[in-house]
Amino acid sequence: MKSDSFNPFAMAQQQFDKAAEFLNLDSGTRELLRWPLREYQFSIPVRMDDGKTKIFRGFRVQHNDARGPSKGGIRFHPQETVDTVRALSMWMTWKCSVVNIPLGGGKGGVICDPHNLSQHEQQQICRGWIRQLWRNVGPLADVPAPDVMTNAQHMLWMLDEYEAIVGEKSPGLITGKPVGMGGSLGRTEATGYGVMYTVREALKLMNVKPENTTAAFQGFGNVSQYALQLYQRMGGHAICVSCWDQKDQTSYTYRKMSGISFDELMSIVDRFGGIDKTKAKDLGYEILPGGAWIEQDVDILVPAAIENQVTAETVQKISKKVRIVAEGANGPTTPEADKVFEDRGVFMIPDFLANAGGVTCSYFEQVQSNMNYFWEKDEVLGKLDIKMTSAFSDVSDLAKKKKLYMRDAAYMIAVSRVAQACRDRGWV
Amino acid sequence: MSDHTPPTDKLLWFLRERAKELNCLYRIEEWLNKSDATLEQVCMAIIEAIPAGWQHPECCQARIVLEDATYTTSGLRESPWGMSAPLKVFDQILGTLSVYYTQQMPIEDDGPFLKEERKLLTTIAERLASHIAFQKMRSVYNQYNTAEKELVEHARPEWRVVLDLLRRTDRNLFLTISSKMLNYLCWSGVEEAKVLTQYYDPEQSSDAASLLSDSNVPHRKRVALQGNDFISDETFKIASDNLTPAEILSFIQRWIQQDKLSFLIKTLANINTPLSELNEAIRRFHRMAPEGIDIPINTKRGLLVSLIRRIFSEDLQYINIAKNYTDVYDIFELLQNVIYLPGSHGKLGGKAAGIFLAGQILKKSVESDPLLAHIKTPKAWYISSDVVLHFMSYNNFDEVIEQKYKDVEQIRLEYPNVVQTFKNAVFPTEILKALSVVLDDFSDHPLIVRSSSLLEDRAAASFSGKYKSLFLANQGTKEERLEALLDAIAEVYASIFGPDPIEYRAERGLLDFHEEMGIIIQQVIGTKAGKYFLPTFAGVAFSHNELRWSPRIHRDDGLIRIVPGLGTRAVDRTSDDYPILISPGQPGLRVNVTVDEMVRYSPKMIDVINLETNTFETHHIDELLHEFGDEIPLIDQIVSIDKGDHIQRPLGHIDFNSERLVVTFEGLLTKTDFIAQVRSILKTLEEKLGTPVDLEFAHDGTDFYLLQCRPQSHSDDSAPASIPKDVSPERIIFTANRYVTNGRVPDITHLVYVDPQKYGAIKDRQQLLSVGRCISRLNQILPKRQFILMGPGRWGSRGDIKLGVSVTYSDINNIAMLIEIARQSGHYVPDLSFGTHFFQDLVEAKIRYLPLYPDDGANILNETFLQQSRNILLEVLPEFEQLVGVVRLIDVPQSASGQVVHVLMNSDLDQAIAILAAPRSVVQGQWEEPLLTGSSGEHYWRWRFNIAEQIAAMLNPVRFGVKGFYVFGSTKNATAGPGSDIDLLIHFAGTPEQRRELESWLDGWSLCLSEINYERTGMKSERMLDIHIVTDQDIANQDSYALKISAVTDAARPLPMGRIAK
Repeated sequence: MKSDSFNPFAMAQQQFDKAAEFLNLDSGTRELLRWPLREYQFSIPVRMDDGKTKIFRGFRVQHNDARGPSKGGIRFHPQETVDTVRALSMWMTWKCSVVNIPLGGGKGGVICDPHNLSQHEQQQICRGWIRQLWRNVGPLADVPAPDVMTNAQHMLWMLDEYEAIVGEKSPGLITGKPVGMGGSLGRTEATGYGVMYTVREALKLMNVKPENTTAAFQGFGNVSQYALQLYQRMGGHAICVSCWDQKDQTSYTYRKMSGISFDELMSIVDRFGGIDKTKAKDLGYEILPGGAWIEQDVDILVPAAIENQVTAETVQKISKKVRIVAEGANGPTTPEADKVFEDRGVFMIPDFLANAGGVTCSYFEQVQSNMNYFWEKDEVLGKLDIKMTSAFSDVSDLAKKKKLYMRDAAYMIAVSRVAQACRDRGWV
Repeated sequence: MSDHTPPTDKLLWFLRERAKELNCLYRIEEWLNKSDATLEQVCMAIIEAIPAGWQHPECCQARIVLEDATYTTSGLRESPWGMSAPLKVFDQILGTLSVYYTQQMPIEDDGPFLKEERKLLTTIAERLASHIAFQKMRSVYNQYNTAEKELVEHARPEWRVVLDLLRRTDRNLFLTISSKMLNYLCWSGVEEAKVLTQYYDPEQSSDAASLLSDSNVPHRKRVALQGNDFISDETFKIASDNLTPAEILSFIQRWIQQDKLSFLIKTLANINTPLSELNEAIRRFHRMAPEGIDIPINTKRGLLVSLIRRIFSEDLQYINIAKNYTDVYDIFELLQNVIYLPGSHGKLGGKAAGIFLAGQILKKSVESDPLLAHIKTPKAWYISSDVVLHFMSYNNFDEVIEQKYKDVEQIRLEYPNVVQTFKNAVFPTEILKALSVVLDDFSDHPLIVRSSSLLEDRAAASFSGKYKSLFLANQGTKEERLEALLDAIAEVYASIFGPDPIEYRAERGLLDFHEEMGIIIQQVIGTKAGKYFLPTFAGVAFSHNELRWSPRIHRDDGLIRIVPGLGTRAVDRTSDDYPILISPGQPGLRVNVTVDEMVRYSPKMIDVINLETNTFETHHIDELLHEFGDEIPLIDQIVSIDKGDHIQRPLGHIDFNSERLVVTFEGLLTKTDFIAQVRSILKTLEEKLGTPVDLEFAHDGTDFYLLQCRPQSHSDDSAPASIPKDVSPERIIFTANRYVTNGRVPDITHLVYVDPQKYGAIKDRQQLLSVGRCISRLNQILPKRQFILMGPGRWGSRGDIKLGVSVTYSDINNIAMLIEIARQSGHYVPDLSFGTHFFQDLVEAKIRYLPLYPDDGANILNETFLQQSRNILLEVLPEFEQLVGVVRLIDVPQSASGQVVHVLMNSDLDQAIAILAAPRSVVQGQWEEPLLTGSSGEHYWRWRFNIAEQIAAMLNPVRFGVKGFYVFGSTKNATAGPGSDIDLLIHFAGTPEQRRELESWLDGWSLCLSEINYERTGMKSERMLDIHIVTDQDIANQDSYALKISAVTDAARPLPMGRIAK
């Protein structure tokens, strides 16, 4: 790619520079954190099904491990670039830091398109990746996880190759394993519950009882589903949820002023979070246009679908009643909309805090794997509550103290914790 | 024996008597076994031996009376003290054996004789009788042997006897055989024979050279001298000198045999022979020449070719292939399942011909490829094609035959009546009887009634899906089942007169072809699962893969579309469901690889036959599996378990109640030889038939069944476009030479071009995302299926969006074609996505995909046109001003003086070209073959345009307060199809009252026109007119449709108003 084109790593660095400026970091710390600590780029020769050998490019970037072993996914992408991987690994560092789990940030991948590869060839790539990198990853060094176009199967192949090489069982090497094969219970619920734990804390700050609030959800995937479930258990009153309709190739908002029900909706939702329109109608839901969720007169908005949903345009439709926006999705709010929220004094729970339940649960998986002792679901979710609650209060305290917008406060905390660790270790 | 004899003495006496008897028997036995003893000697010996065996030998005498001869001991006197036993040979009493005492002896058990003596006599008589029988048989045998020997040694050879008999009884055959023998001798190089041929025509030399010379004078025919036996005699004299009698005899026998077959050849050669006689002739042949008998190869071929031509097809290519893979017996067997009327001359139709030949080829190829061993074809009965004509004349439907020449509107209007008429018709009794037999044969197994039209085997005309195929559950009483079968056949017959097939035929100049339709009544493959009947899976397979989703897949790797249950969902494209796609040459490369993709694009519905309601039904797979999953064989090879974070192949028992299942066919594809089998079938059939093929198949969990086979070129989607050679460079938009599929994308009015360099140079992520939003907006605005999307790299990129525009399927679902441009950047050419992100959506919606490699020497990408044509994006979507440099929207007719873009793709040549030319309706015939899909266009839009003009002319602008009347969209652009509406734009400036009046006036038109259009095309719409009313205010604001009035692209066209109104 040409140097003048869009570069995600350059963007991540810019974002960091802003925080560094605010935190008044010294130049050494800035220089250290602007770049990954270590980068591995290597070749993976694979004997293809037709007998020919093909060489694949593999990556692993460890941005920072001052706070603990690196953590981050492995992507299979045909046009992966090292800059993308660098940007994502830096993002992982901040994400682990903001929820205060003892992990650093990493990311990796292989340039390949699984659509052009058989299962057997993919397995060879996974094993080849580990053969090249087994000295540099490990339960206490760098812990990979599934990401774009990789899944639990790929993780098991990698784990198996690693264990074969080191000669012992080592389930903590990797996360995203199936339950029963070293995976953790509660992963399905983790992100959604995490979102709602932070909402609960925000309401506490405002001295509002959940049972006196209403909420609208965008999207009805895992995150939204379990956020809704917990919200209802807290006594909250959800009135609508929007979701994509695969058949009509558009999205709809399903509204019931008397309150939508998690159990009811779960009985008519498909695996992709698509609600059956006809059945919803039969159950008495109003069917409104996809964008209607944002216009509702509610206290809480949970955008938990895709990025760029709250824009300069749509933010104008948001009711004045809205007091909390909890970002279940990654990047649902554009900077222009952020500005509006800040001006209006809307309480923003930024994505990398709100949806940190996922990475926290991965951390729990790793912990359980290392002990080879696995908790019941309630124990996982209970520990998640503690982590999320304390992460939230750290961020909200800082926001309050320094009069920061929550998103900025979260970022400050994340960066400062890492910077502190580097300093404590005497690196800078 | 006297009572007073003491017991010990009695015992001794008893034993002595038995010993005498035994000695007597031994002596006789000795004589009987002497092979050289004559009967006389034997009889004499017996008579002499007998007395010693009796209690009083001194006064004992014996006598044998045998036919005319009497054998006695010397001086025999008949006395009252005797006993006899008959000599019974072959159930006939030939004489007696008697014993006498010459004087009275004391009374014992049987007169003077002991009971043991009676038994002895009977035994001797039996032994003698069987000896006589043996002797008699031996003498007959010897006589026969001697006679035979004499015949060979002394009489004429057998062949001469036969020949003489022929000479007396069948003179024609005699002469034929003589001349055949002479010919044979000549070919064998016997000189005398060659000389003898001169007698046929002394002027003609036997010199082969003269025959081979290119003299223009026709050779004179040799005239056999009828009645002159001289040549015959000479011929056989020469033959007996050169051949053994056995050889001559065998030749004569073979030629007689051949002559007997001539009746069959004559029957076949006569095209007027009805099927019934044909069947009878083969039956006779069958009896006369059971398999294994020596029939000359040429006779066999001749027979076979005539049969194939008569029953299946007159297509030479078909015959040429079929004759190599069939024999008379195969056809005989098939004919036993053909229903025809006495005097029938019909054929079985294209579908029957296709499946029969494919089945034969596979059967005969098993030896070279064991994978083909268990391929079956379903049991079927056939109705010959002319039965439909008889059926119609029987019911006096004569006027229906002329139906095809009526207006298509009228045909459509009358079609429902035709169907009802057919269904209420009566079948000829012969057919009823035959169908009753068919039902007995099938019992209550579900059936499918398929059309097998004579047009179906004609190249380039694909009638797939044009005629009906109907499923029958075939349950209930015999009467009910018969009723349902008749109903189905009548409905299939009626489909000949359906508007769609007739229109289709009219477009291809096949209207005058005398359409007869055969019927195949085929067993539906499958098993029972609860109340349902279904195959475990079914699908279609193609030799050529025209939908490659990876550059690693080659065209020859083939394609399988496979679904659980009945194959209907794999044959047709369904808008809301997806079959599993597999390329048998590259089974490891899947369209869908992530867990989400695998689940989203898996089949969700299943077609089955409900045996309780007797209906064809579609169900959710989940629900069906939940209820009856355990009863479906091989189901564990079909489904996998969706574990959320990965997909797992089931191991052992599947819990259909609690597991989340997804159809993947993973087990079938990886753990069975199904793929190898299909590949083998495709390869074999493609090779033997000399053309890529298109198959339908089904699997009942045990066996693979081939249901249909036809050339792939007959499929709608796969027809290659001819690539014009002499196009001037400025008319070419692009060319492509890699991963090209077959087909054409005509009448493109708009190009959306995302400049790869400019897109790559965008720094801001928001701006990259806005390109996707811009495309999405254009997708809503531009005319559906009339614009092409061209852009860099990977459309639908999810991660790194700078590699390709981030869109989802809903953002592009109205496009006609998706193009990915791989521009070389530095030293590498980026990988393209091949549309993988929404590949199956594109396939099912028939949106075409093409990758371009403009930096690959030979290819053209007309950047002058793409860069320098006016970009109207700003005028159409002003809010995307910042993208003007990146996204170029080109109105093709505007930029190319009325021309549009046509994309022509030919996978055989691996070439595609997009050219500027007049709209299809105008250029048809210049470079395009008759269209394969849709309509010939012109009359649809012309009719609409005329209507629009008419409405404008009738509209009174003063009465309704109308300032302007415009037409736009497909009617204006000459691209309207049968289902298009008429887009009208009305500039209104009247009162609300006038507006209501105007709307109701137009609504009347709209309703009326939609009815007329339905009659013309069969396309139903509620309103034909799509009316958009704009006001001065709208125009001032440049609101939505008001833009059209003076639009930069695709502007609405004003029509003069009120010409007729007053």
